[in-house]
Amino acid sequence: MSGAFVRACALASALGPDLEAAVERLAGAPVAPARDTQTGGPWPYFAIPISGKDWRKRAQAIARSVAEDLRREAALAPGEWAALPCIVGSSSFCVGAWDDGGWQALEPSFEFSSSLAKAFGARGPVTPVSTTCTSGFSALDIALGLIAEGEFRDVLVLGVEFCNRLTVAGFAGLQLLSATAARPCDRERDGLVLGEALGAVLVSAAPAPWRIAALATGMDAASVTGPAPDGTATAKTMRAALARAQWETSRVDLIKLQSGGGPLADLAEGRAVRELFATVPGSVSLKGALGHTLGASGPAELALLLASLSRGRVPATWGFAKPDEELGLAPSGGDGKGVRRVLFNLSGFGGSVMSLALEKAG
Amino acid sequence: MNVYLLAPTVLRVAPEDLPARVRARFAAELRRAGGFAQLCLLGAQACLDAAGGDGPLGILWASEFGAVHATRAALDEDLKRGEPAMPFTFIAMQPHLAGALLAQRSHPVTRTACLYLPPDAWSRLPRLALGWLADCERVLVGWVEESGSGGVAHRSDWCLFQEKPVAGAVRCERALEAENAAAATGEDWIARIAAWSGPAPLLLRGGEDAWRFGRHG
Repeated sequence: MSGAFVRACALASALGPDLEAAVERLAGAPVAPARDTQTGGPWPYFAIPISGKDWRKRAQAIARSVAEDLRREAALAPGEWAALPCIVGSSSFCVGAWDDGGWQALEPSFEFSSSLAKAFGARGPVTPVSTTCTSGFSALDIALGLIAEGEFRDVLVLGVEFCNRLTVAGFAGLQLLSATAARPCDRERDGLVLGEALGAVLVSAAPAPWRIAALATGMDAASVTGPAPDGTATAKTMRAALARAQWETSRVDLIKLQSGGGPLADLAEGRAVRELFATVPGSVSLKGALGHTLGASGPAELALLLASLSRGRVPATWGFAKPDEELGLAPSGGDGKGVRRVLFNLSGFGGSVMSLALEKAG
Repeated sequence: MNVYLLAPTVLRVAPEDLPARVRARFAAELRRAGGFAQLCLLGAQACLDAAGGDGPLGILWASEFGAVHATRAALDEDLKRGEPAMPFTFIAMQPHLAGALLAQRSHPVTRTACLYLPPDAWSRLPRLALGWLADCERVLVGWVEESGSGGVAHRSDWCLFQEKPVAGAVRCERALEAENAAAATGEDWIARIAAWSGPAPLLLRGGEDAWRFGRHG
């Protein structure tokens, strides 16, 4: 069991430049992703509504905006804030700078991550990590280790994915994108819609409303681009998270699904969930609203989910309309006041699988 | 907690020799994996061969620049021409894939991570590895760097951390007296351990941390 808590969250995403705007928008009618963006070409893409012609300056502006929100919510003393170590998870780091600056505009991922930490005003050690789509939770995993060591009370975790043509072209080349919309768990789902986000989570040893009960990691080596069809690795990782948190399955109130609308990947996760749970609890997917934000998806979806729950709501799963009997999951939003325990799934290229157990403290 | 380091493995490969070395070790298994992942696996597998053992494994490696050549190929060869990125070109730019490829070789991998670190931050690797030993029996730790220019070899250095002592293992612990430690980098810390001989402990410093390595038994 972990002794770490989520002290504060902030987010810039397609739903809005800040978390408050995102939660409000998510409570309203679904909004379709943008089309014909510079990044996405013909593919729909969930872009952060902050404009800027220079890729790097835009990234810095987004980081400063998220930093301001996080700092306000965290309410740390200035010296404590400045001493924060910063763990940065991303699958692409600054590769988008190539789009308008060519090869010369690229910099090592450590340098780019350090510039983000600086935008946040965090002067502690910077550690960039990449495990593709689970990068943000790998960053969280490192943060939990630093807190467990006792060397830091608070650690800043960033999940970062900014628009870039390469990622969209790569997913298109792999035939993983939908030409229309993200439909998590839906019978007519036909692929992912990508998006950008900067999710920031301040993890702390000091008590806060949500405790991180466990973070389990696993490896699904069936393929480097997709899960084993039977969902074995996902089920095993979820089981490990439950065991470490010392929870029975019946105690889970909500599952945040990885599901992004991929026909086979969603099916594998559905099989994993049904293998573990005799009665499947409530579930939600956020990728119909945020897009699949890849390395940012862990912190971004965590921020959005906890902000929604703190307002008493389980957000709706945008894009889900027609249940798929074979998949057997029907994510739905509604009253979130009774949600005390959440199992939060994440997986990605390279077989990385993670499951986070979150518990309302007190 | 006592932690032991096994099989420090130093691999230097001329870029033009990498394909033949990979074919010699893995036959055709890795033909589409990309150069960086191949380089990772060549060093990591050599380390595992030397260390033996078969328990649950974590794989943690760092690089300053990552899969530079694959990224360059994806950007220059595909995007610049306005063509969709070829699947394996795109996949090859993800250094994290090396972990899955190692897992596919029947190693019981439970967690992996690729860090991007400057050379003096190597000392974060053993610190993280110690934390991972709470749920992995063994942690394979590496530093991998592709050659940036002609005449310079690719580097793929690896070692294995575990709590179980075995003959020939090196006992390691964080050192409090960093001022007496020799400065090491990501490129040479494993090589220094591999080359170390004599009864005196080896003290190496990287960034904010120092580590003491001593003979076991």
